[in-house]
Amino acid sequence: MISRKIIALILLLAFGFSAAFAQELPRSSESALNWLKRMADAPRRHNYSGTFVYYADGHIETSRIVHKVDSISERERIEVLDGSPRIVFRNNDEMKCYLPDSKRIYTEKRWFRKFFPDILPQPFDNVIDENYYVKEDGFERVTDHQCQVLSLTPRDSLRHGHQFWIDVETGLLLKAAVVKGNEIIEQFAFAQLEIDGEIHSDSLKPSQSMVQEEWKVTDLITSFLKAGELKWQVMSLPAGFKKIVEMKRNLAEKPTLVDHIALSDGLATVSVFIEPIAQDAPASLPGFFTSRGAINIYVRILGDYKITTVGEVPLETIKLIGDSVIKKD
Amino acid sequence: MKSKVSALMDGELDQRDVSNIIEAIRKDDYLQGEWETYHLIGDTLRQSSKLSMNISSGVSQKLKAEPTVLSPNISNLEKKLKRKVYAFSVAASVIAMASAWLVMQNLHEPQRIIMAEQPNHNLSIAPISVSSPPVIHNYPHPPIEINDYLFVHREFSPGVTMRGQVTNVNSMTEYHERYGR
Repeated sequence: MISRKIIALILLLAFGFSAAFAQELPRSSESALNWLKRMADAPRRHNYSGTFVYYADGHIETSRIVHKVDSISERERIEVLDGSPRIVFRNNDEMKCYLPDSKRIYTEKRWFRKFFPDILPQPFDNVIDENYYVKEDGFERVTDHQCQVLSLTPRDSLRHGHQFWIDVETGLLLKAAVVKGNEIIEQFAFAQLEIDGEIHSDSLKPSQSMVQEEWKVTDLITSFLKAGELKWQVMSLPAGFKKIVEMKRNLAEKPTLVDHIALSDGLATVSVFIEPIAQDAPASLPGFFTSRGAINIYVRILGDYKITTVGEVPLETIKLIGDSVIKKD
Repeated sequence: MKSKVSALMDGELDQRDVSNIIEAIRKDDYLQGEWETYHLIGDTLRQSSKLSMNISSGVSQKLKAEPTVLSPNISNLEKKLKRKVYAFSVAASVIAMASAWLVMQNLHEPQRIIMAEQPNHNLSIAPISVSSPPVIHNYPHPPIEINDYLFVHREFSPGVTMRGQVTNVNSMTEYHERYGR
């Protein structure tokens, strides 16, 4: 009897020790989640045009955005102003990316929302609350607009935290940051913005000179697949992650199609790319890589295939997902 | 501070610094993240099947789900006994923690190449290595297709370099040389 009590106490102390490291987070409040819902709806309710900056690892990139919405469609033009030019036109989920330097156009169908400030899934559900603790964090002024600050703290170590600055009047997202502990690793913010101003439809079309030129068009996506059609499977999804889409990709320089599985936890996304290793290709090696901002990359070899996992999540999560990819019989 | 975290992991830190740095890691989320990342890299380089994972949140959730046991009043004699048991168990758990720490210390000792002993001196004098050090895969350059993958993963969103442009992808070892250690 005594020894059992002792064991129980030792166990309790040992677990208590590790639990002391973990934060215990309550459910998110209804009003905080309502802010998120407003933020998700705002791009369907308002026209806007302006300039925003992307900042990560000491690197800054400026883009110009024009966004127009009516009862049938949502159209957008985003032009990257730094470095070599690129212009993206979006008509609902159809995207076209013009690269004037190489006279190429890439077409793509939107499978998630990555373009600031429209970064929440639609229709918005409260799945975010399962993975993040959403909290109202006071008010701040951004580009002359009074903003509600929201902080999203991850409920486990499988994802990064986020901060949103939401325009009190319209619900538009004016600034967004990805945070790791106390450190900001990536952020978007409007430098100048006009909401609900007049937008000419000409500004949403390729210019006359662009139309006249000869461009090489590549369709990056060949087909969306039904669940289970791909011969690859992610066996164990980390807590909170769901598969959102499976695709076959046409990445121009590859002779064969690349399989693409996309996962998300409501905010962060992870892509798994699987390609056969060509006979004459140099030997492939596994490894970890990082890119700008929150991006982590993991390359793994499985038989004659190379599996590359990419996402805005911690390395641990990338490796978990990459390692659990198997080939179906 | 980061270099101390890595020194702690490699068992190269002197005893005085050890408790300071452990305390610092406990308080600083960023250092905790570094600690976890170093372990993950280590595991991968060693091709270990088990990953260093942070299980603390999972454990605390399980604990929350545990029912609370409400016990009735107990007699003085039982109380005395209980106090004894408590003192004993505190001592036991201190020992348990200390031994766990020792085990960790052992685990984090750098791997050594084990040389086979030469019982027969008539044979070749050169030592024979019976276990080779783990092969460290190190890409001089990231695979070229990574840029294409980033391009479609980010849905053309700003921040990633474009196809055909100079890559901004770094291999993890290079990254840590530059920003980490």
